[in-house]
Amino acid sequence: MKCAQARRLFGAYWDDDATQAEREWIESHFVACSSCRQEYEEYSRALEWVATLPRVEPAPDLVERVLTRARRAVPATDRIPTTGVPWVPVTAGAALLLVTATLISPWMGLRPSSRIANRAPVVTPAREPQLIVPTPSTEPLAQESRGPRQGPNAPSASDPLAAVPDSLFDHSEDVEFILDPVTMRRGRASLTRAPAGAQAERAVITF
Amino acid sequence: MARVAEEDERAFAELVRRYQGRLANLVARLLNDRECADDLTQEVFVRVFVHRRNYRRGSKLSTWLFTIAANLAKNEIRRRVRRRNWFSLDALQDVFHDSAMVLADSTEGRDRTLEREQLQQVVGAAIATVPEKYRMALVLRDIEGMAYEEIAVVLGIPGGTVRSRINRARSLLKRKLQPLLRREVAP
Repeated sequence: MKCAQARRLFGAYWDDDATQAEREWIESHFVACSSCRQEYEEYSRALEWVATLPRVEPAPDLVERVLTRARRAVPATDRIPTTGVPWVPVTAGAALLLVTATLISPWMGLRPSSRIANRAPVVTPAREPQLIVPTPSTEPLAQESRGPRQGPNAPSASDPLAAVPDSLFDHSEDVEFILDPVTMRRGRASLTRAPAGAQAERAVITF
Repeated sequence: MARVAEEDERAFAELVRRYQGRLANLVARLLNDRECADDLTQEVFVRVFVHRRNYRRGSKLSTWLFTIAANLAKNEIRRRVRRRNWFSLDALQDVFHDSAMVLADSTEGRDRTLEREQLQQVVGAAIATVPEKYRMALVLRDIEGMAYEEIAVVLGIPGGTVRSRINRARSLLKRKLQPLLRREVAP
């Protein structure tokens, strides 16, 4: 048992890493145990041989060979950037801002500005489109290519198509739509086909 | 190293000159192959140059160099083991036999130089037969004289593991050199 303990201490004793008590104990054991003493002599002799191995000298042209290869080598990218924007905090901040904006955006939408809230809604009666009955004409669409039209409010007597407005809505009056988001969600839009013969489509938007 | 990172070629040449001996010796002892040691040492420095901007300032340069060298040597040992052309036990036995003949030839005025060289060859071959993970710790400690803490950093293992590997490596080496040791340390 003592010999096994002593042999476990060979390494620390050789490295001068043993405590004072361990050193004294193992030295007293060497005096008493010739077997362990011889084992340690062999152990230390083997390590002396290792320590006295001659140094291997590098080739004389090693420096030049290394420099030649290094000149051709492409440097690796810097994995530890010392300067520049730290992308992790910036990305985290941007993500936090985005989440906050997403969370408070419904609350912001429910609160219209005081200017809009105080304004009285303007209701403009919808104007029914008029059906244009095509009439025989010698030059039906020729006017189209002759030049710009004078506008829907200035129809020409010789051109029946001139009476057709460009839009189904009367743009002579300003129509202001105030779109309340809550009402918008309940609204629906539909597009119906105009009766046969009409040269326009009628859009009905219901809020 | 800071000057090397700033493309200073003269600083890099100075770094190579300063460390080439230690690295070549380390690699040669790990592989027991002098010819290959030059190539591998060259590779260590090329890698240092390529990754010069990844060197962490404040860490010990020699530790970084030895880590690269140890990793390259480890890869080379494993590659040779896979190719099965590595130093065999039979070859070690041949070296032992020749060495024993020379050492036993004491009556005919043996050549001390030859004896010493033969012994060094045997010891180098014996180290090469120690399993790789123990050999690394042994060479770093008993040939390069590195501290346990530094070896732990180079090998990336805890300090306690370094100690146990070194003890194991020494025991294995002593066992391999036993025939010569018995002759040398006869009571």
